Amino acid sequence: MKISKSIYMFFIPGFILYSIFFLYPTVSALFYSLTDWDGFSPSFQFVGLDNYSRAFTGDSIFLKTIGNNLKFMLVVVIFQTLVALAFALIVLKNTKTTIFLRALYFFPTILSSVSVAFIWSFIYDPSLGILNQLLELIGLGFLTQNWLGDANLAIYSLAITQVWFHAGQMLIIFVAGLQAIPQDLYEVAKIEGASKWQTFTKVTWPLLAPSATIVVAYTTIQSFKAFDLVFAMTRGGPNNSTEIIATYIYKVAFRSFQFGYASAISVIFMVIIAIITYLQFKALRSDRISY
Amino acid sequence: MKRKYSSVVLVLLSVLLILSGCAGESTSNNNSEGGSTTQINFMHWRGEDKAVLDGIIAEFEKANPDITVEMTIYPSDQYMATAQRMLQEGSTGDVFTSFPGAQFESLQKAGVFEDLSGEEFVSNFDENLITVGQKDGKQLALPYQLVFNMPIYNKGMFDELGLEVPKSWEEFQALCDTLLENGITPIAFPGADIGPNQFMNSMMMNNAPDEDIFAKLQSGEEKLTNEWWVKTLEDFQLLEQKGYIQKNALGTNQDSAMQMVASEEAAMLATGSYHMASLIGLNPDLQLDLLAPITVEESEAQYEGINTATFMLAVNSNSEKKEQAKKFIDFVSQPENAAKYANETGQHLTVKDVKYESEVLKNTAYWITDKTTRFQPRFLITNAQVEDAVLSSIEDVLGGAEPMDAAEAAQKIVDENRE
Repeated sequence: MKISKSIYMFFIPGFILYSIFFLYPTVSALFYSLTDWDGFSPSFQFVGLDNYSRAFTGDSIFLKTIGNNLKFMLVVVIFQTLVALAFALIVLKNTKTTIFLRALYFFPTILSSVSVAFIWSFIYDPSLGILNQLLELIGLGFLTQNWLGDANLAIYSLAITQVWFHAGQMLIIFVAGLQAIPQDLYEVAKIEGASKWQTFTKVTWPLLAPSATIVVAYTTIQSFKAFDLVFAMTRGGPNNSTEIIATYIYKVAFRSFQFGYASAISVIFMVIIAIITYLQFKALRSDRISY
Repeated sequence: MKRKYSSVVLVLLSVLLILSGCAGESTSNNNSEGGSTTQINFMHWRGEDKAVLDGIIAEFEKANPDITVEMTIYPSDQYMATAQRMLQEGSTGDVFTSFPGAQFESLQKAGVFEDLSGEEFVSNFDENLITVGQKDGKQLALPYQLVFNMPIYNKGMFDELGLEVPKSWEEFQALCDTLLENGITPIAFPGADIGPNQFMNSMMMNNAPDEDIFAKLQSGEEKLTNEWWVKTLEDFQLLEQKGYIQKNALGTNQDSAMQMVASEEAAMLATGSYHMASLIGLNPDLQLDLLAPITVEESEAQYEGINTATFMLAVNSNSEKKEQAKKFIDFVSQPENAAKYANETGQHLTVKDVKYESEVLKNTAYWITDKTTRFQPRFLITNAQVEDAVLSSIEDVLGGAEPMDAAEAAQKIVDENRE
């Protein structure tokens, strides 16, 4: 069948949008990362790799943000994946109750991040918040914490909020993946006398690997880019303990007006995400099998 | 062939649709009488004052039928980031407002301020309160609001307990002890948001009376590890350790802290005069006044409080409607229009001869005339990363760090960011 060349014209609107909103900003960031541009002056100087060198040798806050981001990412990726998978296994069958539960678990995802931040800031409030009050009520008063005010705890409190916010979204991916696994394989496993755990590890998990890859990669990127939730709940405090790379880029660019330096951090940020995502893909791909 | 052309037309239409979404709007209109009107844009961050400003703008438009005013409001935390770009482009913010300090410096460097020196309306303002809007002898912006960034206290509660406003650090601690003995938290401190950046001002005002201290810090002449800042951090540590501020203060936001004062669980709110109207709104029976802790001996105290002349009105140098923009500033700086703004928003102003009618404003107006206050030190830090380092050291101490350790960590960041 001969395809008319005019069909390629349909790529143009998408390509224009992609170029305006992705390609151009990326190339601009690379360009400005080599300058000392302040974001508003018509002129700037080329500073070579000074901004990159500053990020790694002369900016202790930036190094701290990488550590914070890794902590945040680890907690979110592990818990969000596990929670989503556990709930997906619970609501796998299509009954009225499970369909309702799927909608219920998905509900936080449709909220705006500012609303979520507001709700959870209230939950975490040390004196008026319901979390501490609930712990007191059930006799676990010794577990009450200054959830967002303790520099050692705040990043994990934010991570829990992030898990609550997005686990429902990942649950849907897992449910779709689980439903695509042929039932025959479970029947064979049953006939062969496989235990529930063996069935999960030898049948379910390997065949779920493509969905898990998507979930883990998406969760990783999402946790690196969790700007709005973090900014609305703690603004990076106390004492920079919840400052992550995205919030730091914003502050450097729009509070300190160092767009050149902020661009350099953005490029580093992009490279970090690319490396981690590549490693995850590689690790999860090696788990994949087909029957 | 026909199909090929229709594909091309479809693609072009898509592109046109995308581009039309980005088109701007014209600002020249015709009024009902057929004459042309000029629309100016007023850009600021006071969303809570919109209704009052709408009323003032309606009056302005009545007095100047050839000018209309539209407002663009950004939340204050986004204003810093957004204003600069909008102003440079020139279509938004013919009249705009600026914060003093880092934003004023940065906008000034970007050249967006029209020089207002010599304009007749400058004389409507108290000359002592508008210096913060000057640079190199030019009046670039005119601060409109006068805020006192120091704790609000429950005057009724103090009277009931026979407490007087302390004049030294020792007296302040004795006052806090008495409040604690009566089951009252002395200070509600919103450490999760604005607490550190507001309370640091009054806590350091007499520890470092030199108004150039932060300029010296940024130039390397002073250090946060020197006596003035370590003593300030030690004072914060004392407040925390003795329970003068509520437990878990770093997790408390301003709404919760205000609630503590409104319910009389706490006696002082470590924010500023701008919260007085809201507190009265929460509990109309409260009698309020202002009180800054004196952290030195009475004889050594040079200042009694903190003021900030802010909401600095300016004209965009990139605007094509500068004359109309100046007419608007002239209008809002007339005492009768300023009084409307002051009384309806519950704020003191830098405009002369304003008649304050609300009880809270009348009762605290003596802070403008009778008290020795200094301009908010935090706004004299012109580098945002240095400011963050200073504030982080307070959070560090309230989180349990030793003052000297916190000061050293902050000084390291200051050194990394020295220009």
